[in-house]
Amino acid sequence: MDSIEVKNLTKKFGKFTAVDNVNFQVKEGEIFGFLGANGAGKSTTIRMLCALLTPSSGTALVGGYDIRIQPEEVKKHIGYMSQKFSLYEDLTVEENITFFGGVYGLTRTAIKKRMPWVLEMANLRGREQSLARELAAGWKQRLALGCAILHEPKIIFLDEPTGGVDPVSRRNFWELINYLSEKGVTVFVTTHYLDEAEYCNNIRLIHAGRLVGEGTPQELKKKYITNPILEVECEKVVEALEILQKERWVLETSIFGTRLHASVEDEENGRVQIKKVLSERNISVKRIERIVPSLEDVFIHQIEKQPEESARQ
Amino acid sequence: MRKILFIIRKEFLQLRRDPRMLPILFISPIIQLLILGYAANLDVREIPTIVCDLERTMASRDFLSKFFNSGYFVLKRNVSSVRDVDSYLEEGSASLAFIIPRRFGNKMAADKATSFQVIVDGSDSQSAIIGLNYATMIVARYSRNILLEKFERFKFLGLKIPQVNAEVRFWFNPALRTRNFMIPGVLAMVLMVMTMMLTSMGIVKEKELGTMEQLIVTPVKPYELILGKLLPFVFIGLVDVILVLPVATFWFGVPVKGSVPLLFGLSLVFMMTTLGLGVFISTISRNQLQAMMTAVFFVIPQIILSGFIFPIENMPRIIQYITYIIPLKYFFVIIRGLFLKGVGISVLWDEAVVLFVFGVTILGMSVLRFQKRLG
Amino acid sequence: MARDRHTLILMLIIPAFLLIMYGYALNFDVKHISLAVYDEDRSSTSRDFVGNFYRTEYFDLKLYLGSISEIDDLMDRGEVKAALVIPKGFSENLKAGKKASIQVLLDGSNSSSAHTAAGYVSAVVQNYSAKILTKTLMKRGLAPLQLPVDYRPRIWYNPELRSAKFLIPGLIAFILMVILVVSTAFAIVRERERGTMEQILVSPLKPFELVAGKTIPYIFISLISAHLVLLVGQLLFGVSIKGSYPWLLVVMFLFLTGGLGLGLLISTFARTQQVAFMMAIITTLLPTFILSGFIFPIRNMPVIIQVITYFFPAKYFLVALRNIILKGGGLSSFWDQILFLIGFGVLSISLATLRMKKIKEQGIQ
Repeated sequence: MDSIEVKNLTKKFGKFTAVDNVNFQVKEGEIFGFLGANGAGKSTTIRMLCALLTPSSGTALVGGYDIRIQPEEVKKHIGYMSQKFSLYEDLTVEENITFFGGVYGLTRTAIKKRMPWVLEMANLRGREQSLARELAAGWKQRLALGCAILHEPKIIFLDEPTGGVDPVSRRNFWELINYLSEKGVTVFVTTHYLDEAEYCNNIRLIHAGRLVGEGTPQELKKKYITNPILEVECEKVVEALEILQKERWVLETSIFGTRLHASVEDEENGRVQIKKVLSERNISVKRIERIVPSLEDVFIHQIEKQPEESARQ
Repeated sequence: MRKILFIIRKEFLQLRRDPRMLPILFISPIIQLLILGYAANLDVREIPTIVCDLERTMASRDFLSKFFNSGYFVLKRNVSSVRDVDSYLEEGSASLAFIIPRRFGNKMAADKATSFQVIVDGSDSQSAIIGLNYATMIVARYSRNILLEKFERFKFLGLKIPQVNAEVRFWFNPALRTRNFMIPGVLAMVLMVMTMMLTSMGIVKEKELGTMEQLIVTPVKPYELILGKLLPFVFIGLVDVILVLPVATFWFGVPVKGSVPLLFGLSLVFMMTTLGLGVFISTISRNQLQAMMTAVFFVIPQIILSGFIFPIENMPRIIQYITYIIPLKYFFVIIRGLFLKGVGISVLWDEAVVLFVFGVTILGMSVLRFQKRLG
Repeated sequence: MARDRHTLILMLIIPAFLLIMYGYALNFDVKHISLAVYDEDRSSTSRDFVGNFYRTEYFDLKLYLGSISEIDDLMDRGEVKAALVIPKGFSENLKAGKKASIQVLLDGSNSSSAHTAAGYVSAVVQNYSAKILTKTLMKRGLAPLQLPVDYRPRIWYNPELRSAKFLIPGLIAFILMVILVVSTAFAIVRERERGTMEQILVSPLKPFELVAGKTIPYIFISLISAHLVLLVGQLLFGVSIKGSYPWLLVVMFLFLTGGLGLGLLISTFARTQQVAFMMAIITTLLPTFILSGFIFPIRNMPVIIQVITYFFPAKYFLVALRNIILKGGGLSSFWDQILFLIGFGVLSISLATLRMKKIKEQGIQ
């Protein structure tokens, strides 16, 4: 049975279309990643699925409940962690847990039973009396997650859960998500950290309100990237980029920090040509290597294919 | 039901955590009552007056003494020419000027009418009116006494002098202490301002901080949320009443003639309306600044149109109709009835019902308006 | 802040709107006092006497009572505020040239209204006495006596004693003060609460620049609001500025600056908007209404309280405003108020700046 079924979901704010006719399904126990840049429509989608926003048209079934007709049922059976990990800053860790537990309908005894588990999972044992305000971002994030799953929901929605958190904490957090998924919880995550997307079972790429890619991480890389990608390490990267962009045999270029990624028709030819063209302009090339495409490459490739942003309005 | 308790607990915890909130909640009402209770005083006495006595005889001095012995007027200065009067009035160091023309006494002795000029600073029209009233009263009494003296002459002609004598008695407040009237009023005002302002921020605050999003994704129902946010302030309001009542009764000496439990009960009903209004404002505002502005917008008219200072009977018809929807108006009647008149529920029943209906309606509207949606 | 259009509009419109409402609604006159009459005498004389009461605008005849016990209940309910009791033998006594006594019961709850009502009663009774006296004399062929004292009151600055003229300066002060202080208290706290404060503190802005940057837009809006109020005052109530307009601007500006300083000072003490709001309301709403001399004369307050009133700038503002608008006074008549206003402004802004400095140095807590 599908945990989440999305049918022609659309949301318009006046003339602006935030989410445009989106369709997909999420299986039970999947870690489902919703990837896109800021403003692509991720948060809007997740809010609709949580019955926080009313769709302009289309609908979705979450846990079997229709978000339009049975929003309160949906809310009973899901957990949600908002982008800002909304905790009560002036309450302690313990008080936050107690409050959210109570508001989800747990009895005091149930909360008492759950509390140690949440504290353990969030690594907050011994810090029960700290004010939420005093916690570092990594801990706040885990506390927020803990508060969202007190009632042991089958489906959880996490909106950019790792924003502003250090890499170690991020990895730990994903271990947590894996753990939950193994227990059969469906995890719907939005993120703009494409490296994190590798951890997902299934991915949707969203850009300007539309889905522009779907599949497992492996499938995505295979499906969309047919041409080899060469990574070029050289000086004056920006200049080199401009030079290569003009060449006909270079299909796509992008900068990754201090390196260039160039998509070419033929690997060998590409290598030779790049060296030649750049040294003609006195740019020394340190290294050229074919790389396995990352999701970022896929994403950029897909984006470039799309019509301009203005077509959305 | 249980969820409401969790929400209430959270509200109390949050209030307690902010150290500045506690004095605001419990100490400020007392201080407000103390200061404002003393200040709210409409008695106009000892009005500073300038005298320009152009005659300076026994007769004129005798006449003037009637004014200054009454306690209503206090002599600020004696000036020698009428022109000097101007600057004093302009400056505001005196509110009234008495001008006694020459030949005042002579005319009076000759049974002719004398003239006496009073100049009033109308910019302070409240004191002006009252000052004029006093002056008129004193002049009338003086005239009458003179007339009576003259009639003594006729008495031996066998003439009977009919007169009407009015014995005036004041009910409810025989000593006519302004305080008795004002203190209950100030108490009511303080209560209203505190409760309404506190709740108006409650819901909007969570909207602004983002925790509201987390709340509405839970199965909590709108009425549970609203009640949960409201009930702590009912408690605080009642505590405030308990705190300020002794101040009114023992410090200011304004006792509650009626039933104290009834006072608490009806205060509760009144708070339903103020808290309800606050919550309603919270549900219609997008951020706290807006909520605050709206709250101020709702409070100021209540203070001014409720009949606290300005009698409603004297307002234009249209505005009198508007006052029917001002809860404070009904509560004033209640609180004065309980303090001054000692009346019971049978008399105050109408007002209590109105407040109750108002409270329930506004709360209902708040619940309806509050949607568990972001958009 | 400009994006928050609703709030902006509210800030501009509320004062003028309130003025319209109050200008029409408010006056101190005590008129139309509801009167109940118990006439045991029931003669044409007594009826004529009663007529003297309700034919004035001071008393409204509510009803004739059948028994004296009804008075209790009516007074309790507040349905009548005055009761006239005329005993049997009223007209007989008058005819016989004797003293006829009546009883007047007044609701004493509102003592100033009661005082005034008593004054009216006294005036009506004395007028009536004078009338019958004259009649008696004329019957005997004697000339009617004139009242020895011809009393002519002249009212300056506000000849018709329109309460509106008195209240308008007060309303301007009241409304401006509240809105100004409350909204500026928000200015800083808002950032604090939202967490954007750190960014501002990290910036190279000096505390003074910070304060100025936050306050200037609000001063501007409040000035516009004040002018709207004056405009309404002029159009609907005929209150025009008798005195010098430049000085009016100066006074308003000083007042606003002081209020601003107060608002900022509050915002440095409050961590949440809720607290800031409550602090601002407590220091502006009721105090400006009650302690500024707007309604209750300061003269009659206990000395301690009078001292306290010196801390509220509304008081000085009011005197200066009334002076300039209604009396057309020159600088000589309000220079001391200006000094106080300057003093308050300097005090509040420097305190606020000091606090801001402290916060900047210590970081937010």
